[in-house]
Amino acid sequence: MSAGHDDHGTGGLDLTLHIWRQESSEAEGRFETYPLHGVSPDMSFLEMLDVLNEQLTLEGRDPVAFDHDCREGICGSCGMMINGQAHGPERETATCQLHMRRFKSGDTIFIEPFRARAFPLLKDLVVDRSAFDRIIAKGGFISVNTGSARDANSLPAAKQDADLSMDAAACIGCGACVAACPNAAAMLFVGAKVSHLGLLPQGKPERSRRVLAMVAQMDAEGFGNCGNIYECEAACPKAISVENIARLNRDYLLASATERPSSAQGEGA
Amino acid sequence: MHSTPTTASELFTRASAAKLDSKCPSGPMSERWDKHRFDLKLVNPANKRKFHALVVGTGLAGASAAASLAELGYQVSVFCIHDSPRRAHSIAAQGGINAAKNYPNDGDSIRRLFYDTVKGGDFRARESNVYRLAQVSNNIIDQCVAQGVPFAREYGGLLDNRSFGGAQVSRTFYARGQTGQQLLLGAYQALMRQVGLGRVTLHARHEMLDLVVVDGIARGIVTRDVVSGEIESYAGDAVLLCTGGYGNVFYLSTNAKKSNVTAAWRAHKRGALFANPCFTQIHPTCIPVSGSHQSKLTLMSESLRNDGRVWVPKNKGDKRSPDSIPDGERDYYLERRYPSFGNLVPRDIASRAAKQMVDDGRGVGGNGMSVFLDFRDAIKRDGESKIRERYGNLFQMYERITDEDPYRVPMRMYPAVHYTMGGVWVDYNLESTVPGLFVLGEANFSDHGANRLGASALMQGLADGYFVIPYTIGAHFASRKLGKVTTEHEAFREAEGAVRARVKKLLATDGRRTVDQFHRQLGLLMWDHCGMGRSEKGLTHALGQIRSLRDEFHQDVRVLGENESVNMSLENAGRVADFFELAELMVIDALHRRESCGGHFREEYQTEEGEARRDDENFCYVAAWEHAQAGGAPRWSLHTEPLSFEEVKLTQRSYK
Amino acid sequence: MTSRLQTFLRSSIGKKLLMALTGLSLIGFLVVHLAGNLTLFVDSDGSAMAAYAQKLADLGPLLWIAEAGLLLLFVVHIGLGMRAAMENRDARPSRYKDAAPKGGRSAASVTMIATGVVIGIFVVIHVIDFRLMKGLLAHPDPATLAKVVVARLSTPLGASIYFIAMIALGVHLWHAFQSALQTLGLRHPAYDACIRKTGAGLAVVVAGLFAAFPVLCLIYKGNWPWS
Repeated sequence: MSAGHDDHGTGGLDLTLHIWRQESSEAEGRFETYPLHGVSPDMSFLEMLDVLNEQLTLEGRDPVAFDHDCREGICGSCGMMINGQAHGPERETATCQLHMRRFKSGDTIFIEPFRARAFPLLKDLVVDRSAFDRIIAKGGFISVNTGSARDANSLPAAKQDADLSMDAAACIGCGACVAACPNAAAMLFVGAKVSHLGLLPQGKPERSRRVLAMVAQMDAEGFGNCGNIYECEAACPKAISVENIARLNRDYLLASATERPSSAQGEGA
Repeated sequence: MHSTPTTASELFTRASAAKLDSKCPSGPMSERWDKHRFDLKLVNPANKRKFHALVVGTGLAGASAAASLAELGYQVSVFCIHDSPRRAHSIAAQGGINAAKNYPNDGDSIRRLFYDTVKGGDFRARESNVYRLAQVSNNIIDQCVAQGVPFAREYGGLLDNRSFGGAQVSRTFYARGQTGQQLLLGAYQALMRQVGLGRVTLHARHEMLDLVVVDGIARGIVTRDVVSGEIESYAGDAVLLCTGGYGNVFYLSTNAKKSNVTAAWRAHKRGALFANPCFTQIHPTCIPVSGSHQSKLTLMSESLRNDGRVWVPKNKGDKRSPDSIPDGERDYYLERRYPSFGNLVPRDIASRAAKQMVDDGRGVGGNGMSVFLDFRDAIKRDGESKIRERYGNLFQMYERITDEDPYRVPMRMYPAVHYTMGGVWVDYNLESTVPGLFVLGEANFSDHGANRLGASALMQGLADGYFVIPYTIGAHFASRKLGKVTTEHEAFREAEGAVRARVKKLLATDGRRTVDQFHRQLGLLMWDHCGMGRSEKGLTHALGQIRSLRDEFHQDVRVLGENESVNMSLENAGRVADFFELAELMVIDALHRRESCGGHFREEYQTEEGEARRDDENFCYVAAWEHAQAGGAPRWSLHTEPLSFEEVKLTQRSYK
Repeated sequence: MTSRLQTFLRSSIGKKLLMALTGLSLIGFLVVHLAGNLTLFVDSDGSAMAAYAQKLADLGPLLWIAEAGLLLLFVVHIGLGMRAAMENRDARPSRYKDAAPKGGRSAASVTMIATGVVIGIFVVIHVIDFRLMKGLLAHPDPATLAKVVVARLSTPLGASIYFIAMIALGVHLWHAFQSALQTLGLRHPAYDACIRKTGAGLAVVVAGLFAAFPVLCLIYKGNWPWS
């Protein structure tokens, strides 16, 4: 590491970046243009923004604010619209795992925040996705207190269900599904959680309550309606299937028809 | 600027009075935790709501602790620097979590997990703690399954296990390559359930910048709202630090970019002793650095060593492509040197061996700074689809980053900083030397000694949060007189003032270099001199360099913008400032420990075969450092907690 | 207990479900309507169609009830569609500069509102034209019905309005069928391809046959070479 080697290629990529700048949620936003030279194709997209921010700082200009953390595609912090696509052009890839070798020298890149009424903008590319947390708080869990569990192997789960559950549980909560949806709907996020928990035997007892409470909160947050356009699945860095939305619809219909009124309120645990 | 210290006495002082009481129970090992739990005072159910716990950090330790305490009826406030508690870095753990379930019927037991962990930690952990960890490991799996963690299963519907380094049994439970994510989501969901029920108040995007101690007891924290810049105080009856490790002192590490030492360091400066800071874990299988732009390193799960074989060419400077190097000219050095554990030796050993190969001129890749991890034989044996099923997402991640297809070309790996075994000193109750300040998970020093075994970090974080703190915090509430304290108290005013002053100073410095420029330089110093190989000469050199770089930082750093909005460089600057102080202590600790153990490898102290040589006579203790400001520059005094080994005999560790 | 249905119908998923059900019913109506219309091609003197029309007229009040039901289906389907469109616009107050698809959408799925509006306008014209003015009510003698239809569709204006509307219908149906099943939760990897093909086939056949009316009328003016 001490002997860090040269970036491959000679001069690297020359790019023109148009980045959305906005001081705060109330302020007016606008695109600003930044030329950037000699970008290594081995850099991740966020490392490219790091380089820009270093440059801006040294020039005495305010660096671009963006959310990021693990930089290995699992924490779900990062997320921006890159040339109109959530997390950029690569499939199954979060912004932090998008590499600059995907771009050519001379490219113009438009970078915008995820936009949705339920995701208010905080600054530049940083948005508030706490709506997702509030949806989980309403029902995205299995009500089991610490210490009350029985032996793990006393409740077998069909491997197929466990695998489907894991597919859905892979959601990183980045919000790309909402950002990419023409209607800013959150159905893939909610569908994934409802599927993750509902497919497992231990999640069955609360299946109805869960789906009713989560959908009610989803609607209260101001997300749009699902149009079965499936742009969410295409944008999802974890390739979560829209089959989970069908399961959500099914569960919701069934729960609406069968759940008894007293327990449909989502209180108490 | 700084004179280079030559003797130990110039580096630190030795504390005279014994200050450390580990509160470890006595009696037979297997009964200690039960006995201790019985002896702990309880809080009456009706009284629980009168006590307020402040939990800082929402990783495995923080989220599980907050949820469990709220379930018991305590008032809980939770703080995290992220936009959501679900983003804590526990989420990135890939491989798995250990437990002594013995489901595969291969000879595992609580005692064996205990033994492996003590030995894996190179005899620098507390036996009582490790035994408790092994005991509760089984409860963790039960709890997580009940919460809906989708662990891998067999066709019969029961749980599957895989093998990990440092063990000869299969005891690792996993959820594809995303075990940390799934365990964290389980804890996060339990936490959010309590938030929804109104028993936990959640403060996201809040960074703890100071600890408030009133009458000798931790009673609150000062935070900065990273969106509005507001400096706020919160008062409570106990503070739980669950803020993770400090691997980012090296700048490049597998830690997330926001992982930092600030909360722990502020607590340290308010009186909490910091233990074994130099014990850092260098993970053997990480994707090598690709250039100077590199902002972090990506780990490839240790589980890959189940099927991947590690090798380098036998001949120095062999630049042929790997597939054209015949088997006879490959050196599968781990299998050769450690026939009984082979590729699954513990991390410290695998890392050091990789470094030795590279130092020997047999490294591979453009700059000769990596070794191969080859799946050719496993693919031939089990078929590509089986390998894809086991490691598909890891292979995909590798290809994204390196643009090379690991199904065809061997992966290239090099060690990277991954985990810190050191941390805030805590007793058996997880309480620091500041009463009322509890430290959980990676932030404390407790269970891993000088080297952590794979799949044990998740276990420890959840053990602390689910099954230890709910009992031990009760004793604090029940046995101490905790008068009412509000944020109007003088101590809060003073701490808030100190935080504001630090923020103001960083913004006012108006220097010429960016925070990252300093951080990179510090990281390089630490990696070169306090990384995989350490020597008196290198450490002494580094110490001087760190001190002058720290002075430069405070005079020449450039932080733009204002406090009152999202300001990434301001957040970073505060964290790097603390890393500078920590780095100094790490180097002092590494200098003072004149032995090699686990991840701490002093080049002067090795066996003829190049293995770590412990000095149990002089260093079989926990080094706990007390901070004392001496005219601007930090000074430390050393407390020691002797370690005794009653159950596992002190031996030279061998994996041959 | 009233609140249960209300809660359901106010929810985003409830609304979608109702749209799906009304949509599927309308598809059913289309198929029946198409079958009836095809009587036009049975002979050149219009007696087959006359017989069909007479049967409808004989239904008496039942026809009124069926038509009222049909009207309700349209009103609910269109009303929910418009409401969803408005909510969706509210859900993203500031637009992207250039939203580029990543592969999920189809031309049909993102134009549901547009094609829906075209079909809606056409339905109004169509009902006024055939049902209220020149259709069954206006012509107690069903014998002339086929002639009226042919006359209407063999003018360039009439034919193009009809033809364009049927293209819009085809595009709408292309997405509609599988979307409705998805909303009803009927999705399984084993049947995905089948559902998708059925939807596409339905769109092509229904819209194609309807679109054949103006084309054939324009060419043959009601004197079918096959009869």
